Amino acid sequence: MNDTLQRFLLLSVAGFPLGAFALMAVFAWQGRRRVERAVSTAVALAFGLATAAALTLACVMVGEGRTLVTVPVGTWFGSGESEFHLLLVGDRLSLPFAILAALLCGLIGVFSRRYLHREPGYLRFYMLLALFGAGVELVALAGALELSLVGWELAGLSSALLIAFFHERRRPVEHGLRAFLVYRACDVGLLVAVVWLHHATGSSSVAGVNGGGWALFLPPTSSGDALVVGLALLWASMGKAAQVPLGGWLPRAMEGPTPSSAVFYGAISVSMGPYLLLRTESAWSGAPGVRAAIVVVGALTAVHATLVGRTQTDIKSTLAYASMTQIGVVLVEVGFGLRYLALAHLVAHAALRTAQILRSPSLIHDHHHLEQALGAPLPPTGRHLDRLVPAGPRAWLYRYALERGYFDAWLRDHLVGGLARLVRRAESLDDRWARLLSAGDTTVPVREGRTS
Amino acid sequence: MTHLDIAAAPGRGDRVTDVTELVERAARLLPEQAPLQTFVHHNTLHAFEHLPFDEAVVSAARVFGTEPFQSEAAFRDHVGSGRIRPSDIDAVAEAEAPGGAPIVPGGPTRARFLALRLRNLFEIPSGAALDWLLLETDARTRLSDLLDPRRRAELLAQAGRDWTTTPEQTARASQARLLDTLWNGLAAAAPTVPGAGAPPARGRDRILAETGTDTDELVHPLLIRLSAAFLDQGIAYWPMPERELGFLRAFRRLYGQAGGPPDRFLRGLGTELRRQEAEGWTAERTVVWALDELAVPEEARGAAIETTLLSLRGWAGMMRQFEHRPDLAPVEARAARLLDYLAVQLVLDVQAARHVMRNHPGGPATADRTTVRPGLELVYEAFVLAQLMPVDVTVLARPEHAAAWLGAVAACDETERRRLLHLAYERRHRVGALDALDAHRRFTAGTEAPPVTMQAVFCIDEREESLRRHLEEHFPQARTYGYAGFFGVAMTYLGTGEVRPRPLCPVVVTPTHLVVEEPAESRTPRQPGSRHGRGGLSLGLAVGSRTLARGSVISLGLGATQVVTLVGRCLFPRRFHRWSRRLDHDPGGGAVTRLAIERAPGAVETEDGLRRGYSVPEMTQVVSSALRTTGLGRELAPVVLIVGHGSSSLNNPHESAHDCGATGGGRGGPNARAFAAMANHPGVRAGLRDLGLDIPDGTWFVGAYHNTCDDSMTYYDEDLVPERSRHAVEEAKRIMARACVLDAHERCRRFESAPLDLPLDAALAHVESHTVDLGQPRPEYGHATNAIGVVGRRSRTRGLFLDRRAFLVSYDPEGDPSGDLLTNLLLAAGPVCAGINLEYYFSYVDPAGYGCGTKLPHNIVGLLGVMDGHASDLRTGLPWQMVEIHEPVRLLLVVETEPERLAAIVGAHAVLERLVSNGWIQLVAWSPSSDAMHVFERGGFVPYVPEGEALPTVHRSAQFYAGRREHLGFAHVTAALDTAPQPELVGEEAS
Repeated sequence: MNDTLQRFLLLSVAGFPLGAFALMAVFAWQGRRRVERAVSTAVALAFGLATAAALTLACVMVGEGRTLVTVPVGTWFGSGESEFHLLLVGDRLSLPFAILAALLCGLIGVFSRRYLHREPGYLRFYMLLALFGAGVELVALAGALELSLVGWELAGLSSALLIAFFHERRRPVEHGLRAFLVYRACDVGLLVAVVWLHHATGSSSVAGVNGGGWALFLPPTSSGDALVVGLALLWASMGKAAQVPLGGWLPRAMEGPTPSSAVFYGAISVSMGPYLLLRTESAWSGAPGVRAAIVVVGALTAVHATLVGRTQTDIKSTLAYASMTQIGVVLVEVGFGLRYLALAHLVAHAALRTAQILRSPSLIHDHHHLEQALGAPLPPTGRHLDRLVPAGPRAWLYRYALERGYFDAWLRDHLVGGLARLVRRAESLDDRWARLLSAGDTTVPVREGRTS
Repeated sequence: MTHLDIAAAPGRGDRVTDVTELVERAARLLPEQAPLQTFVHHNTLHAFEHLPFDEAVVSAARVFGTEPFQSEAAFRDHVGSGRIRPSDIDAVAEAEAPGGAPIVPGGPTRARFLALRLRNLFEIPSGAALDWLLLETDARTRLSDLLDPRRRAELLAQAGRDWTTTPEQTARASQARLLDTLWNGLAAAAPTVPGAGAPPARGRDRILAETGTDTDELVHPLLIRLSAAFLDQGIAYWPMPERELGFLRAFRRLYGQAGGPPDRFLRGLGTELRRQEAEGWTAERTVVWALDELAVPEEARGAAIETTLLSLRGWAGMMRQFEHRPDLAPVEARAARLLDYLAVQLVLDVQAARHVMRNHPGGPATADRTTVRPGLELVYEAFVLAQLMPVDVTVLARPEHAAAWLGAVAACDETERRRLLHLAYERRHRVGALDALDAHRRFTAGTEAPPVTMQAVFCIDEREESLRRHLEEHFPQARTYGYAGFFGVAMTYLGTGEVRPRPLCPVVVTPTHLVVEEPAESRTPRQPGSRHGRGGLSLGLAVGSRTLARGSVISLGLGATQVVTLVGRCLFPRRFHRWSRRLDHDPGGGAVTRLAIERAPGAVETEDGLRRGYSVPEMTQVVSSALRTTGLGRELAPVVLIVGHGSSSLNNPHESAHDCGATGGGRGGPNARAFAAMANHPGVRAGLRDLGLDIPDGTWFVGAYHNTCDDSMTYYDEDLVPERSRHAVEEAKRIMARACVLDAHERCRRFESAPLDLPLDAALAHVESHTVDLGQPRPEYGHATNAIGVVGRRSRTRGLFLDRRAFLVSYDPEGDPSGDLLTNLLLAAGPVCAGINLEYYFSYVDPAGYGCGTKLPHNIVGLLGVMDGHASDLRTGLPWQMVEIHEPVRLLLVVETEPERLAAIVGAHAVLERLVSNGWIQLVAWSPSSDAMHVFERGGFVPYVPEGEALPTVHRSAQFYAGRREHLGFAHVTAALDTAPQPELVGEEAS
């Protein structure tokens, strides 16, 4: 197969979802009500074609023994000494992930046609799904970190908006905002990595392939640079992958319609963190400290999430923590350099968890059938925990798990709350100054109170 | 006051018992929904049943912050579409204010005023929007746009008349002056709006008003977590420790430990809880302490407790359910007490209140609550209405007339308008239904019923109406009956595959019989084997996939196979389901079983006070009352099918809400099977003969189960059918299968997913795909659109298209000279049908307040209910996807009996009296002798005069409903009435 065609295929993997989003955006712009079928067909078809394109490309590459296809999309901007290139790359890492993401989004596109039937936000859902898919494909295929950043932001924004899908209620909006804030705080890491990589190596694009057929970034020469880049990337991926201590947003993200929860927070969205680290491994592998940090974060998360998940009483939170556990394990694998295992684990876990969350509304039905199949009530669980842990620490541990490791409270009351209190103190100081300066003038309002 | 003083204070004991009483009183307002497995429809406002319907919905709306009726905008659409006709509005207005003098001289009477007001529904802006309208637009100086030309000319003439002295006035200026006079006159007479009144009782509300901080934001997430952990029926891998001590003590043990949560508002909680635990405080004492801490005055305690519990009413209600009906717990009962729950909530409220007040910079943030301002909204409304209605506006310049006008306008506020429009909306439905019944009686008069060769007894459920109709259309020699779907067999049932016995009878009945399904041949009662092995495997996978180590192995090993599942479930749900079922085929499932229906002599009661099986006289009693009540015993066909029903669906936490209400939210198949076994029992037949009820030897009863979701039929004990009846039974099954296809086709017209020209043979596949699709939030529409109940002979409704909207209860007035059978029927069916109807009413008019909102984000918690997404209140009521096509009217119950007898029965039973006199159902007596109808209104039966519109006549139902999705009216369907079989049927069906 000729080169141009392969490049076209690679381009179309990201291009179709982006096109579908543009189409939906035009629909939404016009404000006319569209036939549901047309909307869902357009989006599902776009993802279907993207899946087909990625699959074809993968087959062709295997057949021809090629390990890498790159497509330069252009240059974002440059200032002489350094340029920011936009580059897509298809290799043994990016194509499986791209296929998975397109396939899951496409399936959810078909599934939601029935699930969201007659829902007023139908078009919005599909628009966001297309945007999310496009973002993920950009991250998956990006051969340049700045392009990853674009996709990273698109995926983050659209998933925060999908959490807040039912915006007539207060909670979804709060939880969407929370996820968005965590994303934004962590996106700084990716930005730092881009800039630092440029600073250290002059380029943030892939250059060359390793023996295994994975595209490589230019590694920074000093291990100090590699450490900074690696830690920045780890920070970036911790937000998306819901790692300790930032993972509190993940169970709260289960506010949207079940299909979007299934595909985003059970599968693709949380997988983007480990994926980013896998993609950029060559840039940080020079610093052993980064490896250690990744392993520590992953292991802590896995232990924390499995403990917390065991006390959750609603099915979606249970599954959210199960996802978090497995993503933690994947990070450990990434840290140990078990690339293929990590990739396989990521893909397999995404499929398993999506299927489980899609089935979650049938839990009562399934529970009944399970009891019938067993011919007895389901055996109690957690007994070995009771046996292993003495009563005192057990209750303490249970409360720790029920309170989700207190991370939320620390973040809210002590980190964010501390900041807010500081600001408030400064404000009251300011008020006092203002009163002092306008001494005697009682008409100066101290503060605008709520009047309604 | 320290805790020691509290203990020593005199009269303290009284206060403590007070609290228990207050909680009990407040608890009645909580939702009464049991865990979802045992969902039974009930009146959402059961606690308000002692009030008349319209008062009840309005006061409930105040208590719960919900909607009493459909919105005014919805009613405006109904008026526009002709669903409410002008004649309905006039009739309602006339009934509301009969006769009377004009409100102001030359103006309309009150009835006329109401009629005009309900025709002119316009938006009345309030607050800043109204200020803008009055200050920035010419709303005060120009005649309203709503005026018709005639009234406009009239007003202009009035304007000209009063200003003849200055002829140079332009029309515009005189208009402005006229309106200005009108406005000023009304504004001068307008009453002021009272302030919000006394401060709220609950601490949280006062703190919110004072500081703008909502303490519930702090307390609720924790309380939800704790309640869910306490009540959980098996989702959490690790159950809450020490929950057998009760909610309050488990909470104290858990949160009383040192090293507690770092939340700032929980500071000091551990110490407090340790103190209370050490001193052995009861829940009552804790509540009293907390209310004192929250500065709730003694007289406001009731209100404070009520609002506190209502702030998270789903969870509070579930605590109460577990307290009162531990037997309904899906897996395991818990030591739940509402009082414990309240104590925990109040302790947390105290913590949060202290925290907020500590951190509040001080000074009230909100305006004074008692501010008084003129009711500009009212003036504006009266101003527009004075232009619209035939009234001389200059008259309103007089203060007393202006006040009278304002009074009339204020009396017809939004709630009142919606109430009246609701009456008009219901009236149109009532007139349509009663006229149709009357017209159909005249239409069928004189036709002879064809000889009967097959009979089928169904549940009274309105979903069976279409199946019965199609059965009679397709096979006119069939006759159908409606009988409450437990068929008089009030039993606790244990199936072979079931783990625990469950009652299959109406919730108001306590069963005393236990019926067990047993394998017919094999001696071992339960056969373990591959089935259990597979169960264990899927359990291991479900639990293991959520853990750390096992989860890694499972996701790595099985993840790839899940891609196949996903593709199948998403793209080919129906085929994939069949395929996976075949793979999962259960060899034990097809084993022949029997119900142990007859009590062995000398059998003893089980420990639950249940007797195993029925004695022959008991069975005879069950069968005879069914035969007598329905009139089935008059003429028995060779085959009698007894059809119970239920519903099975995926992606549906509310699955059991689609099951049979008469079996308490269970599936009625076993009841039908038991009834058939009883009626076939030789001893029972002999007993019946002694009672004068002869079942011919050639008659055989067959129990069956109708799945209303995929329209499939299951038949029981077919191997017992005697040789002589075998052919007739096969024939009956064949006919029934055809009727199921026709029924499925009619149901499909309501699903937008099915094309309107869906071919007949595709209908079954379509409804089946709704059943097994994980992506389908509408497996069936359940009881949606139910509106009518007819208690009477089927001959009166046979061949009448009722659009699956009517509960049909067979009752033979001729066989019931004393009225006892009717009494029993009404006592059983009345509350059940009313409960279904009212639950749909409320979930429709306020899907978020009374219903549980859209299903899309639902999240099953604790195996007992659903939350909206993450950590919300437990949502009760029906999801929007179940009720979206409903028409919220109160049940119109038509009973074929004399009004005097009906009045006597209703008067003698408090349950019925409350429903009828308070207007929770509309009751009609339909005289079997004179055919006259009497509607129950304002305390008595008044004759009903039909409007007499003719109904369309079609040969088959399909001709009437084809190509239409909306609610349909009534029609005569002649196929069911014809005496001769129709050879051309097959061709017509296909069209």
